[in-house]
Amino acid sequence: MTFTVNGKRHTLVVQSHERLLDILRDRLGLKGTKEGCSTGDCGTCAVLMDGKLVNSCLIFAIQARNKQIVTIEGIGTPDNPHPIQRAFMKWNAAQCGYCIPAMILASMELLDRNPNPTQEDIKRATSGIICRCTGYLKIFEAVKTAAAEMKAQVE
Amino acid sequence: MITQSTVEKSRRRQSTGIVGRRVGRIDSLDKVLGKPMYTMDILPENSLYVKVVRSSVPHALLRKVDLSKAETYPGIATVITSQDIPGINESASLLPDKPLFATDRVRFAGEPIAAIASLDISVAEEAVELVNIQYESLQTVFSPLNALKADAPKLHPNGNVAKYLKVRKGDVEEGFKQADIIVEGTYKTPFQEPAPLEPEAGFVIPESDGSVTCVGSMQSPYHVQAGIAKILSLPPEQVRVIQAATGGAFGPKSDEMPIDILGMAALVAIKTRKPAVLAYTREESMIGHTKRHPFVISLKTGAKKNGKLTAWQAELVADTGAYASLGPLVVTRACFHATGPYVIPNVKTDAYCVYTNNTMAGSFRGFGGPQAHFAAESHMDEIAKKLDMDPVELRLINILKPGTLTATSQLVDEGCGLEECITKVVRQSNWYKKRLQIKRRKNTKKRGLGIAIMYHGNSLGPEGNDFGSIHMQIESDGTTRLRTALTEYGTGALSGLLQIAAETMHLPLSYFKLDASDTAYCRDSGPTVASRTTTIGGRATQLAAGILDRKLREMAADMLRCSVNEIERREGVYRRKSTEQSVTFLDVVAHAYANGTSLRETGNFTAPKCEYDPETGQGTVYLQYTYGAAIAEVEVDTETGRVQVLKIVTAYDVGKAINPATLEGQIEGGTIQGLGYALMEEMIHKNGVVVNANLGDYYVPTSLDVPEIESRIVEYPGALGPFGAKAIGEPPIVPPAPAILNAIDNAIGVRINEIPATPNRVLLALRKIKIKDA
Repeated sequence: MTFTVNGKRHTLVVQSHERLLDILRDRLGLKGTKEGCSTGDCGTCAVLMDGKLVNSCLIFAIQARNKQIVTIEGIGTPDNPHPIQRAFMKWNAAQCGYCIPAMILASMELLDRNPNPTQEDIKRATSGIICRCTGYLKIFEAVKTAAAEMKAQVE
Repeated sequence: MITQSTVEKSRRRQSTGIVGRRVGRIDSLDKVLGKPMYTMDILPENSLYVKVVRSSVPHALLRKVDLSKAETYPGIATVITSQDIPGINESASLLPDKPLFATDRVRFAGEPIAAIASLDISVAEEAVELVNIQYESLQTVFSPLNALKADAPKLHPNGNVAKYLKVRKGDVEEGFKQADIIVEGTYKTPFQEPAPLEPEAGFVIPESDGSVTCVGSMQSPYHVQAGIAKILSLPPEQVRVIQAATGGAFGPKSDEMPIDILGMAALVAIKTRKPAVLAYTREESMIGHTKRHPFVISLKTGAKKNGKLTAWQAELVADTGAYASLGPLVVTRACFHATGPYVIPNVKTDAYCVYTNNTMAGSFRGFGGPQAHFAAESHMDEIAKKLDMDPVELRLINILKPGTLTATSQLVDEGCGLEECITKVVRQSNWYKKRLQIKRRKNTKKRGLGIAIMYHGNSLGPEGNDFGSIHMQIESDGTTRLRTALTEYGTGALSGLLQIAAETMHLPLSYFKLDASDTAYCRDSGPTVASRTTTIGGRATQLAAGILDRKLREMAADMLRCSVNEIERREGVYRRKSTEQSVTFLDVVAHAYANGTSLRETGNFTAPKCEYDPETGQGTVYLQYTYGAAIAEVEVDTETGRVQVLKIVTAYDVGKAINPATLEGQIEGGTIQGLGYALMEEMIHKNGVVVNANLGDYYVPTSLDVPEIESRIVEYPGALGPFGAKAIGEPPIVPPAPAILNAIDNAIGVRINEIPATPNRVLLALRKIKIKDA
């Protein structure tokens, strides 16, 4: 099958039982997508598929055929982190860091469709991902900061 | 040479530089980029996957374990049991009661019996299903109260009590005689699952010289090293343990779980001479690792009409599950905190750590403190109710203040800001006005306000030798590395140590780097538990950085041809006082390297011993205390029983906030774990089998459960930590549950004595008042 990951086209032979999570991590070496429960409950494996947040542990690889996938590796670089990543750093919103790639992708999806989110919007957008360390509040603040910065950039 | 006493003098000096500032954590960039660094991100090529064969019953003799079908299954590399252990079949924390693999008897459902390895993880999983085990069932016991009875099955050779201890102060009977009122109550707490987002994982590489390298998710590398060495019968030096980035821990990753994981992987690695990895599924993690001990706490107290407490009697019974883990120490801490932070002349506490056939309980953030305070602080509101007194007022009459004595007759020193914590949350929450307003609500959604206060003995105290070791070295390019066997698993405490080093050496924080915790080049620094990294590790950091700073100043003086007393330093520039002559940090480092002067130093700090009389529990049980208070505002839907927390205001006396930003992270994270403990989190055992070992049926708070949280920081410097800093990792999980339950009582007028306060329990409680009213 052919699909696009972080802007790059890949053609792979996949087994019917392989999950999107497996091919991202094991075949493409994109280790930023984490496995936390394998049952779709924790959300740490979330990636963007055609712009929508999905749990990659619940998606068979073949379902990603001809789709555009974005993982945390496609968001920013060490020299040029994305404004959302900078905002997470500013607020020390990453503690153990395990849920953070998914949280950043969820924030990205939110800000793509809603550049001016309220606290409730942010809560809803991140509600599929469990964070056990931060109590979520620093993550909410980071999303607000990122929204303001991204708006300023557009203007 | 700089001595400990010169550091001692400068330690309490008010900080002016980087300590106390909101700075970014050193690991933030890697984490927001999702860089590969956790155990499963860095697996060696061609690792064998190990899967565990577990008992399906809670208590039985193993009549027969038939592995033949699994052994011959295509694709299986090896099957291991206790027979493959060259050393001792043990993976335990405190008492040698738990085998790595069960041999003749299992004591909980989920206990490891064998392990199977294959290059293909699904082949290993299939082979696990082919193992045929014949059990001979034994009598079971799942309630710790029943386990104390004479006719209970004896789970271990010394009986079912893993630890008993007591506190005796004054004479409670006399105290009850002096009292105007007596209040009694029994309080129950559940198994709480730590649920770190990264399930346990580790891999082992067999080295050509017979040694092994173990990499994994863990809190305490030296504890793991000792455990693996015992299993493999190797000298500890031949077991190198490296901590990979660890995705949350909260306690169980300091207990025996990393030894289970790496012990089984090491046996496979040694037998096959191939790297082997063992990664728990979420279900295995939730069954296999230690959880918060369920407690049943019975209290009987006496008070005068004016609110003064005269006597406090407590009995604590904790369910430690099939094996002790750190249960005896959890119960010790609970026992010493059983009265809450109050002055009470007569105290009698008895605490039991009891074996059952449930899964294991052990370390979890708070370590007995949350259970003890849930009971004590719920009970204080019951006393206030009986005296018709405001709960805040009752507390203010009885709280610990400088010059008073704790339940163990320890003198409270000047580092006690409990009263200010209470004042702050009362003012911030508008307590008096709101409690009146709330009472006037007439609809089905009742609102309430509740308070709870707490204290938390810092560091290990009676739990062990309390020492820390920090190695620092300056590279030729000026990079100043800090290495320690204390670990980072999310808290940010090691970033705080870099701040302490930068402050001590008057250097910019950007010069500092943190190395991975690795037993090959870090000395033992004790376990990374008990919120002790900043206090104990911070003191060791001050020592190491102090020695290096002194060396750098001496060399700068040498280069500027003056005495060391004439050197002023600031942000990496060493200047001769009242002159323009200066050298930079890099000049001095180059000078040192040119002259062969070593810029590698280790700071070792050992805390004074805590001593108490085991017959009376009287003495100095901890070297300093963190104090705190929280007020919760809730809304209870009397039709559905659902409780929504609207706001939590907290204040903690942390001595000195090294980094207020990461400190708030600890407070907010702990508060939400405490909210989960109060309202939704409960590991449910049915006949010893955990029925909700997944994150769909076990509820962890999500972003939708988060109320507004306001945190206030109070700073009364403690006697132990650097700059007076106190522990803050654990305390924030302590007060939310009793504050929320007190708020529920305030809202609906009925006490719920058992957490979590699920909608079902709230509705049952409401029905009780309806029946009473009818």
